[in-house]
Amino acid sequence: MTSRSVTSRSVTSRSVTSRIGCRDLRVSAHGRELLQVPELDVAAGEVLAVLGPNGAGKSTLLRALGHLGGLHRGGDVLLDGRPAGSRDLRSAVAAVLQRPILRHGTVAANAATGLQLRGVGRGEARRRSAPWLDALGVGHLATRPARTLSGGEAQRVAIARALAVSPRVLLLDEPFAGLDATTRADLLADLRVVLDGLDTATVLVTHDRDEAVALAGRTALLVAGRIRQLGATERVLDRPVDVDCARLVGFTNVLPPAVTGRPDVCVARPEHCSAVNGRPAGLRIPGTVRRVVPLGGGTRVDVDTAAGTLACLAPGSDAPPPGHAAVVTVADQHLRRVCEPAR
Amino acid sequence: MDVLLDGLTQALSLLFSGDRETWAITLLTLRVSLAATAVAALVGVPLGAAIALGAFPGRRLLLAAANTGMGLPPVVVGLVVTVLLWRSGPLGGFGLLYTPTAMVVAQAVIATPVVVALVAAALQQVDPEFLVQMQGLGATRVRALLALGAEARLPLLAAAMAAFGAVVSEVGAAQMVGGNIAGQTRVLTTAAVLATSRGEFGLAIAFGLVLLLLAFAVNLVVTLAGQRPR
Repeated sequence: MTSRSVTSRSVTSRSVTSRIGCRDLRVSAHGRELLQVPELDVAAGEVLAVLGPNGAGKSTLLRALGHLGGLHRGGDVLLDGRPAGSRDLRSAVAAVLQRPILRHGTVAANAATGLQLRGVGRGEARRRSAPWLDALGVGHLATRPARTLSGGEAQRVAIARALAVSPRVLLLDEPFAGLDATTRADLLADLRVVLDGLDTATVLVTHDRDEAVALAGRTALLVAGRIRQLGATERVLDRPVDVDCARLVGFTNVLPPAVTGRPDVCVARPEHCSAVNGRPAGLRIPGTVRRVVPLGGGTRVDVDTAAGTLACLAPGSDAPPPGHAAVVTVADQHLRRVCEPAR
Repeated sequence: MDVLLDGLTQALSLLFSGDRETWAITLLTLRVSLAATAVAALVGVPLGAAIALGAFPGRRLLLAAANTGMGLPPVVVGLVVTVLLWRSGPLGGFGLLYTPTAMVVAQAVIATPVVVALVAAALQQVDPEFLVQMQGLGATRVRALLALGAEARLPLLAAAMAAFGAVVSEVGAAQMVGGNIAGQTRVLTTAAVLATSRGEFGLAIAFGLVLLLLAFAVNLVVTLAGQRPR
């Protein structure tokens, strides 16, 4: 295996440990390029989050990696560092889609579906998939018809169904998107525990950075079909490289040099900006309060300034009334310098 | 009312006395209509699936045509098939006119649009991501399609039953291309028409009842098979 790896042109030092990856992966539709990823590698036992806005090509990337659906693909998907065909990927990959697509029949029968599609007999498939229903907290629903489940329960069954095939690669396409906050938090915690015990390479596609924090060691930011930034999740979420990435990870207040008098564009999170006068200052930007929105446990104040409307998020209900002058203040430690938008 | 009661008693006696002619007519009806349904399924299931799952130009036009074809008048189909199979017609060389084969052909033409339209409807009501999800669990293309068929099996069986019902009950095409020849191409519907025209209402009602029983028996078998708990 080592000798073959050395002779293979596309193999880099990283891909020796890579479970799933790609080289020069491109997807197009109707002559338009939807996705272009020169290189991506996910190691066994690792969870990579792909964060992006709607329409960035997140699902397309996931489907291209698994050769799922009818996409116009170019380039290579690598399995264990070697170019893989659809057959290889069918046996290695399990996917959970945004909607839990369950079949008619009981929960137990659904959990066994993946194994049965891979040629395992019915009894054997049920026996092997049952522990995964327990691991995801839906073992007690095994005899229920799948159609009677709630959204959260159904998604748990879909995840159990995917894990039951002992996939070498797990692809998660926004599996928590349709769930309420409590259900989602519980499921994230349970899934974290399960994935920690596995040697599966997992790719999680999401638009929610909390999910990336909860599950992924590394995070990639996908904007307009290209990976703009890739690194340790904490670092990516705290040090965006450009304005698009900054918006994506929550630095939604963009402060151009003309306003700040500093050489670079600066960005800040609303929760680090204050519109209440008299707060200790770093950067100060004067403006007029546009509106005040009380939120559970805090207040959001939108202030019209020379940098556009800036949002300030602070605990408590302290806020100047709309129409009044206010100064938005941001401590220097909370400012991040980024590149101009790449347009 | 007497006529109906007479018909009933006559039907029962014909069936249970083992009247050879009645049994032969019943068996031929079953054979012709089942064969026509099978041919229609062979052609219609792939076509319906392609319409439901594919993306090709003319897809919706084809579906509209199939939906229209569900109401195809059997007499018109019979007429066209007769012209085609006529001794001097384009397919006259096969000598199929007034044979059960010709009846199968005509009835298959009637049943195919029914199968196409209902199969397309059956498969379209399954989640459009179903095939991708099955692939995402390791299914090959063939296995994914089989899983889709299993998922939609009840509406698919309904399509088959509707097709069988359409052909077993039609009389226009069977009469025209079959000719209602005793012992050769006489089926229950054409026999009932003949008996009625002769004023033998009891016999006609008997044939009608046998037809109903036959249709019920076939549908019962299919329904029981489809509703079997898994």
